[in-house]
Amino acid sequence: RIESKFRNRSEVGVFSKLTNAYCLVAIGGSENFYSFTSVLVFMFENSAFESELADVIPIVKTSLGGTRIIGRLCAGNKNGLLVPHTTTDQELQHLRNSLPDSVVVQRIEERLSALGNCIACNDHVALAHTDLDKETEEIIADVLGVEVFRQTIAGNILVGSNCALSNRGGIVHPHTSVEDLDELSTLLQVPLVAGTVNRGSEVIGAGMTVNDWTAFCGSDTTATELSVIDSIFKLREAQPSSIVDEMRKSLIDTYV
Amino acid sequence: MRLVKCWFCSSTIYPGHGIQFVRNDAKIFRFCRSKCHKNFKMKRNPRKVKWTKAYRAAHGKDMTQDKSFEFEKKRNRPERYDRNVTEDTLKAIKKIDKIRSSREAQHINKRLKPNKQKIFKSEVKEIDQNISLIKAPGSYQQDSEKMKVAVSTNKSVQNEAMEE
Repeated sequence: RIESKFRNRSEVGVFSKLTNAYCLVAIGGSENFYSFTSVLVFMFENSAFESELADVIPIVKTSLGGTRIIGRLCAGNKNGLLVPHTTTDQELQHLRNSLPDSVVVQRIEERLSALGNCIACNDHVALAHTDLDKETEEIIADVLGVEVFRQTIAGNILVGSNCALSNRGGIVHPHTSVEDLDELSTLLQVPLVAGTVNRGSEVIGAGMTVNDWTAFCGSDTTATELSVIDSIFKLREAQPSSIVDEMRKSLIDTYV
Repeated sequence: MRLVKCWFCSSTIYPGHGIQFVRNDAKIFRFCRSKCHKNFKMKRNPRKVKWTKAYRAAHGKDMTQDKSFEFEKKRNRPERYDRNVTEDTLKAIKKIDKIRSSREAQHINKRLKPNKQKIFKSEVKEIDQNISLIKAPGSYQQDSEKMKVAVSTNKSVQNEAMEE
């Protein structure tokens, strides 16, 4: 779990997109931002994790439609990447050349073009904006290889911006009710917790970005928020077992 | 940079030209010049405005269905860059362009050529209807009863008369 800033802005989830297979970073940031992400790759190689996650992931500097807010415009997981129609041909080609062949890059013609705000996904399941086109839903299911659910989080239709989702857990908008939390947990089959990031920011998708073994949050994130993130995404490798057990009890409330 | 088509007249819009209008439902309308833009604002339907490609396609003036059109379309799934493929594509673009424009010209040629069958039919009809301009209607009857009859020459009688 790494805290960083992009151009002195703590909204890391806006300027980057992290998945299990690749990481997209906006151009125009300082090299520190870029090197943080490459550090995570090395950190990971030295640690002892399951071999399936031992691949080096490519880090791609890009822009989408000439903008830096790439984290909010695109949606992706290890199977594919969806970009909006505003993406230029050159950017699309750059993405295709830089990403591994296993990742399918697809541009979507869709009225709602901020796909990062409308789609929250991990490698198995995706939450979608309720007003998304039927064809777009099919493309998501096809390209990302996920099951798509049209849902709202805390009554908010922008699911991508209100939650941070990985294969091992998720954080949702702090105002999500317990019933909603349970429902979403069963849908997504991961433990969920309602929390905040960046000193109480409710827009979790914009404040942090996460994959199975690392999370990036803004440097404004408090220690409490960080511990929540660590526990729900199971990021810390070694924990004293008593603490883990205690946390597990509270976390199991969200399973069904 | 991307060359797009004008929504009204379907001509290509080069960089630095025209106006783009984004409607509230996020549909983008691109116009190549103010002529098209003003026509759009007047709510004219391009399929009814004679000089647009939409009209010509809708009224069969220009070729619409052909395999050569399938090469030029917006593709949303890119392929990894390969130098050889790019080289071949560039050559192919030129060739396809030539073929397509010759086919379009042929289409217009065919359309403008006189239609022989149609002309023949109309001529036959005209003859049937207006034959009375040449022949009297009654004479038809006599013509049908016309037979070949052997005629004996009266020459010898006349000659004798003249000689006397």
